[in-house]
Amino acid sequence: MDGIWIFAERQEQTLELLNPGRSLADMMGVKLAAFAADGGLAPEYIAHGADEVFVLPPLLPGQPLESYVAVLADEARKRTPGVFLIGATPRGKEIAARLAARLNTGLCSGCTGLHLRDGSNVLEMERLMFGGKAVQKVLCSARPQMATVLPGTFEPAVCLPDRKGVVVEVHSASSSEVRIVSRSARHREGADVTEAKIIVCVGRGVESEEHMERVRELARVVGGEIACTRPIAEECQWLPEEVYLGISGKRVKPDLYIGLGVSGQIQHVAGIRESKVIFAVNRDENAPIFDAADYGIVGDMCRVVPLLIDELGRLLKV
Amino acid sequence: MLNIITCFKWVIDEADIKADAATRKLLFGRAGYKISAYDRHAIEEAVRFQEQHGASVAAVTVAPPSAKKCLKDALSRGPDSACFVNDPSFLDLDPSQTSSILAAAVRGRIKFDLIICGEGSDDLYAQQVGPALAERLGIPCATCVSKLTYAEDEKHIIAERRLDDGMETVLVPLPALVSVLPGINTPRIPTLKEVLGAAKKEIFNVALEELGDIPGPYLKTVEVVAAAMDRRGIRFSADEEGVRSAVNALFKEGVLSQGVL
Ligand SMILES: Cc1cc2nc3c(=O)[nH]c(=O)nc-3n(C[C@H](O)[C@H](O)[C@H](O)COP(=O)(O)OP(=O)(O)OC[C@H]3O[C@@H](n4cnc5c(N)ncnc54)[C@H](O)[C@@H]3O)c2cc1C
Ligand SMILES: Nc1ncnc2c1ncn2[C@@H]1O[C@H](COP(=O)(O)O)[C@@H](O)[C@H]1O
Repeated sequence: MDGIWIFAERQEQTLELLNPGRSLADMMGVKLAAFAADGGLAPEYIAHGADEVFVLPPLLPGQPLESYVAVLADEARKRTPGVFLIGATPRGKEIAARLAARLNTGLCSGCTGLHLRDGSNVLEMERLMFGGKAVQKVLCSARPQMATVLPGTFEPAVCLPDRKGVVVEVHSASSSEVRIVSRSARHREGADVTEAKIIVCVGRGVESEEHMERVRELARVVGGEIACTRPIAEECQWLPEEVYLGISGKRVKPDLYIGLGVSGQIQHVAGIRESKVIFAVNRDENAPIFDAADYGIVGDMCRVVPLLIDELGRLLKV
Repeated sequence: MLNIITCFKWVIDEADIKADAATRKLLFGRAGYKISAYDRHAIEEAVRFQEQHGASVAAVTVAPPSAKKCLKDALSRGPDSACFVNDPSFLDLDPSQTSSILAAAVRGRIKFDLIICGEGSDDLYAQQVGPALAERLGIPCATCVSKLTYAEDEKHIIAERRLDDGMETVLVPLPALVSVLPGINTPRIPTLKEVLGAAKKEIFNVALEELGDIPGPYLKTVEVVAAAMDRRGIRFSADEEGVRSAVNALFKEGVLSQGVL
């Protein structure tokens, strides 16, 4: 029962997971292994800390990534890893849940922190519960100890170009009864909110395109990216899905979060709580966003936003 | 005719949970309970199949006996019957236990072609029980489903999945399990007639003794504390002067320094 394993849908998530993976492997004195669907990535994973790279067999046409569950389960039964970390993308979460069921072990979903309990090989894993209101710490009594880790939780692992590692071809066949009929990529509008230093976030308090125009102006003045609450993306569809923040959306860590007409329900706040400074404008003085904010203005955003644009524009000289 | 199972969870209303700022202890006081938000969409989707394809719908929940109230709530939303898998020990179950209990309760007891779960529960939001249940029953599954279609007499469903990099349409042979996102439908508000009608619907109880061996738990919770939120909570007025002070405060924080030369 040893070895730290990593599986993620995309390369950048694998590099992030290699970071805690490497530290755990060193502390536990075991090997770190990463899965790659493309053997070409093996040298990069090794340079970023992997001792072994397991190269997965190619998927047959029409098979989703989830078809690897059988392969991963077979490998885990054969090689008995002690820890298995999986990137918490939608597919990663399904793969992890099914794998944990097959392997009869526990899975900490949406893990936001990992530590070894003093002097042991037992992981203490942190996650949010109650919509983000509480932090839960769990231990897993079976092996492997599994967790899905949210993208952006860790910095990518350090690259040491001279590192040596082993590449292992995995041969067992993937299988799936689910068949892909079609796929449409989402075209990205604008920048990645998770990278933004300043975020201007709109909630349902924004009622019209005219409001939106002023919000865009404010974002331009402060050099920030626009994000939103779930209803603005999902119900109103005014902004793309990839910019809504919260427990089921993106989690961000900007220097400044400006919330406009955002009520601040806990599920939304869960995604912004690591912001350095939170500033909110809401016309309801009892809105929960004020409990989560450093600075707040109780007022109608139609009136406040133009004043903000003027004042900031003057000081920032844009 | 399709037989559908919809799985729902009775959860504490997180909006009612208070926290003691000093100790970070959660205070449950008079917190109310509700059907988990995504599960209202799962039930609605099953009822839509019932209306469009004449499916029969059984709503299933795993809970302690004290949650009995949830049955009427669920049934008023349209399912034909409810299955109440209950035992006083069914409190704070880990997702692996919940999925094992559901699998044991359903297997050989409830006929199904399709199981509809919510994508995540309001309290744990583990996003595990659906796909884990599918594994335990040995059926295929699709998660993150935002649209579901079924052509009568066909042996499969077509599911549209909303993933982080785009949409994916998949064909899933029945019997199967899907977990659904809230965008899939708008749950109806039960009418008074539906609420009264719920009392007459069939309820099956399944007890722990009838389930056989349930493995786990595998996860042990060692701590639950209120998430820290130490914010200053300084307020400014909505007039020009207030806005100026607020902007000044942001400058002092050094978070607006971009843009400035
Ligand atoms: C399991 C689960 C997961 C969820 N995940 C997420 C998530 O990831 N992200 C997310 O955002 N939500 C999520 N939600 C939904 C969340 O609970 C809230 O419903 C949502 O965040 C509310 O969005 P809102 O603030 O835009 O709208 P509302 O709650 O409707 O608030 C609008 C606010 O605008 C204010 N307002 C109105 N007009 C003005 C004006 N002219 N000027 C100033 N203020 C004004 C109002 O006072 C009000 O406070 C989730 C819910 C569940 C159950
Ligand atoms: N106790 C339960 N009883 C019935 N269904 C449940 C229960 N817990 C979770 N589920 C189902 O599994 C889904 C995902 O839950 P979770 O894995 O806890 O996020 C929920 O939306 C429900 O459909």
